[in-house]
Order: sequence, then structure tokens, then C-alpha cells
Amino acid sequence: MKKLNKQAIIVKLTNISYQRNKQIILHDLEFEISSENFILMTGQNGSGKSTLLKIISGLLKPDSFSLSHKQSVKNKKSWLAAKKFLRKNFCYLHQSPYLFSGSVHDNIAYGLKHQALSRQEIDHKVNEALKIVSLQHLYNRNSYALSGGEKQRIAIARSWVIHPTFIMLDEPFANMDKHSRNSTYDIINQLKEDNIGIILTSHDPHSGELDFNRHMHLHQGNMIEKTI
Amino acid sequence: MNDLSMATTQALALLVSGDTEIWEIIFLSFSVSFRAILVASPVAVLIAFCLSYFHFPGRRFLIALFNTAMSIPAVVVGLTLYLLLSRAGPLGDLKLLFTQEAMIFGQIVLCFPLLVALSHVALQAVDRRAWETAITLGVHPFRAVFTVLKEARFGLIAAIIAGFGRIIAEVGSSMMVGGNILHYTRNIPTAIALETSKGSFAQGIALGFVLLLMALLLNLFLTYVQAKGDTHL
Repeated sequence: MKKLNKQAIIVKLTNISYQRNKQIILHDLEFEISSENFILMTGQNGSGKSTLLKIISGLLKPDSFSLSHKQSVKNKKSWLAAKKFLRKNFCYLHQSPYLFSGSVHDNIAYGLKHQALSRQEIDHKVNEALKIVSLQHLYNRNSYALSGGEKQRIAIARSWVIHPTFIMLDEPFANMDKHSRNSTYDIINQLKEDNIGIILTSHDPHSGELDFNRHMHLHQGNMIEKTI
Repeated sequence: MNDLSMATTQALALLVSGDTEIWEIIFLSFSVSFRAILVASPVAVLIAFCLSYFHFPGRRFLIALFNTAMSIPAVVVGLTLYLLLSRAGPLGDLKLLFTQEAMIFGQIVLCFPLLVALSHVALQAVDRRAWETAITLGVHPFRAVFTVLKEARFGLIAAIIAGFGRIIAEVGSSMMVGGNILHYTRNIPTAIALETSKGSFAQGIALGFVLLLMALLLNLFLTYVQAKGDTHL
């Protein structure tokens, strides 16, 4: 895979708080991520991992937050402006990814269609993405006919093809068999080689298979940085 | 019994022979209802989307209101519009009473709550992850809206068919605001009512056949659409 020569981007979110039904999910969190980071995020069920990833990806509005990023040295407190920045740079993958109705090609091409690319360029990028996840043979397959593991890999390819600065993987190995897990480990390690910042939530440390360089632990709404 | 079979035979003969008056009424009926559904559907679907995806004060009240409005009798809609559009009414200056535009307006009012309520159900059934996935893949929110509508297409088509079925056969509103004027505002239901009151059953039965055939075709199409939707679940 071609290495992208990108300058590291650092994003800092502070004062993140979020309540649901008057229950505190996240409390005054501070979080900094660089596009060179590969972060393992652990925490018990209901500790707020998915909520935090959705906030970081601009999909969920927190009760309070402050955002700054080194690239243009800006502080953004307005959620509208912050949301725009976060959505542009962060791509979130659900625990059980959603594939749109249509073919595998349609799904991977989805994010490319607003990028003023020709049909040939889109087809080329789709092929390239399928090659990375070793699923070229599924090019024309209907998305409803895929297994859970294949869906996860197609969803990763769909995110990779738009080259986001960061990819948030929410429990990507849940409900996966050993073979699918091993293939997905390789794909995720390759994302890292492409200088894409990654946050991966999991119950299992996966210490042997994935090259994490940071470990964060969420506990009772607070974040603790652990040593790898 | 003999009269009925004779009237039915005459009705079929009228349809097959291409009777100008009958076919003009059929064409007018479909033209008015198609225009009504064409105007109502996009707005209703967008309102249903807002009710499904945005949380704002009064949202639940609006949903309850549209659900209630589904059961408004056509004749009540007709009476209200008649009072609004009659010369002494607040919209009398528009001179719309006894025109096809008034009939279209009446049919829009009739099918709108049904379209909103059924589209809302169809959109609620779409997985929330579809919207989040579209947004996180960097597309503009407008495109994300179309993506969600596409995911809900089978339910939305069913809603539009149900809305069309409601207005093509309604008589109350069309009669009151259209006036049942031959060559201008006489549609299938108003013509059936008139011909039956005159004792001219053949034309009434012929038009009834068309309505029944239409209902059958719509239901067959609806069943096909729903079956296609089920195979994607």
C-alpha cells in the first residue's frame, strides 16, 4: 500500500461532558489524539466508549466541550463549527457496520461520489480498497448477501477509501470468527501504516496482534491513560 | 338479477367501445388524483423525515395530529374547503370553487396526513446507523437525507400507493368543491353517484369496474413492493 506523506494532525478535545436521561455518561473528559496514534480504548459495557467515539466523530452533540487542533491553532466551542471539522477528519465505524442497499461497489464508492472524481477513478479506488481487504471477488455482490466478517471488512475499506485523518473502530472484532479476526488485524495494521490515526474500542487487549501505541481506559465517566 | 346482468353487459360494452364520455371521466379522475399525489408526496415525505430524525418541541403532538387527521371524512374536508372557497369565504377571491384546482387541493388535504403518517412509519423502520454512516463518510447532510429515503423506498412507495388509493375513490370532497360538472370536474366517484341517482346503472357499473381494477392493480403492486422489501431485510 502506498504510504501517504501527511503531517501529523493533533486534535484536542477538553471539557467533554455528556448525560443521558440525567445519568452522567462522560464527565469533564480531556482527550488528545494525533494522527500518528493507534489507541486502544477499553472500558466496561456502558462505560461510554461508543458515546465518546460518536462525539469525537461529530455524530453526537455533547453537553459541553472545547476543541482545538494544531493545524490551524483554533479553538472551537461552537458545536456547528466543531462538528464540521470533526466530521471532515474522523470516520466512525459501528460495532455492527451498516451497509447500504446495493452492491459492494456501490457501498465503497458511496463516499467518493461527492469528490468530483470520474467514474474510472472511482472504479479504480474501489478496486484498490477491495484489494486491501482481500475481497475483490465480492465487487458486484449484494451487500445483504455478506457475512458479518465480510461486512466489517467492506466497511473498513469504505472508510479507508475516503482517506480520513482518523478512523474510529467500535468493537470491530465482536461476533467475528478466528479467520476473520486475523484478516482484520492485518487490515487495521495497514491503516496505521497509511498514517491514519486509529482509536479502537475493545474488551480484549489484542496486545500481540495490533501495534497500539496508547491505551486509554474509561471508567465511571473518567478517562485514565494506561501504559502499553 | 336480470337487470343487474343486463347493466353489467352494457357497462362492459361502454368500456370496450371506447365511449368518449366514460373515458373522459376516467382520464380526468386520474389526472386530478395524480397531480394531487405528485404535489403532496414530496412535502409529506420531508415532514415525515423531520418527524423521524429531528427532535423539537411539539414533535409528538404533531405525530398524534397527523395520525388523527388520517380519519377525517372526505365530506368534512369538502365542506371546510367549500366554506373557504365560496364567494363569501376568506379565499373566495381566488375563484377556485368548482374547478379542478379545488378538487386537487381537497385531495391533497385528504391524502397528506396519511402520507405523513405512513412515511413516518417507513422512515422510523430505517436503521439509525444509515444516517450516521452517510454522515461519517463525509457526504453533505442533504445527500444523507436522500440515502435514508432510498433505504426506506419500499415503505415510502407503499405510503404513496395507499395515499393514491385514498383519493382516487373519494366522493365527498370532489363533489362539494368540484361541483360534478361534465367535461370539467366530473370524476369517477362523482359520476357513479350521479348516474346511480338517475337510475343509469350501466355507466355507474362501468366506472365501478375501473375503480375496482385500479384497486386490484394498486394492491398487486403494493404486495410486490412489500415482498421486494422483505427480501432485503
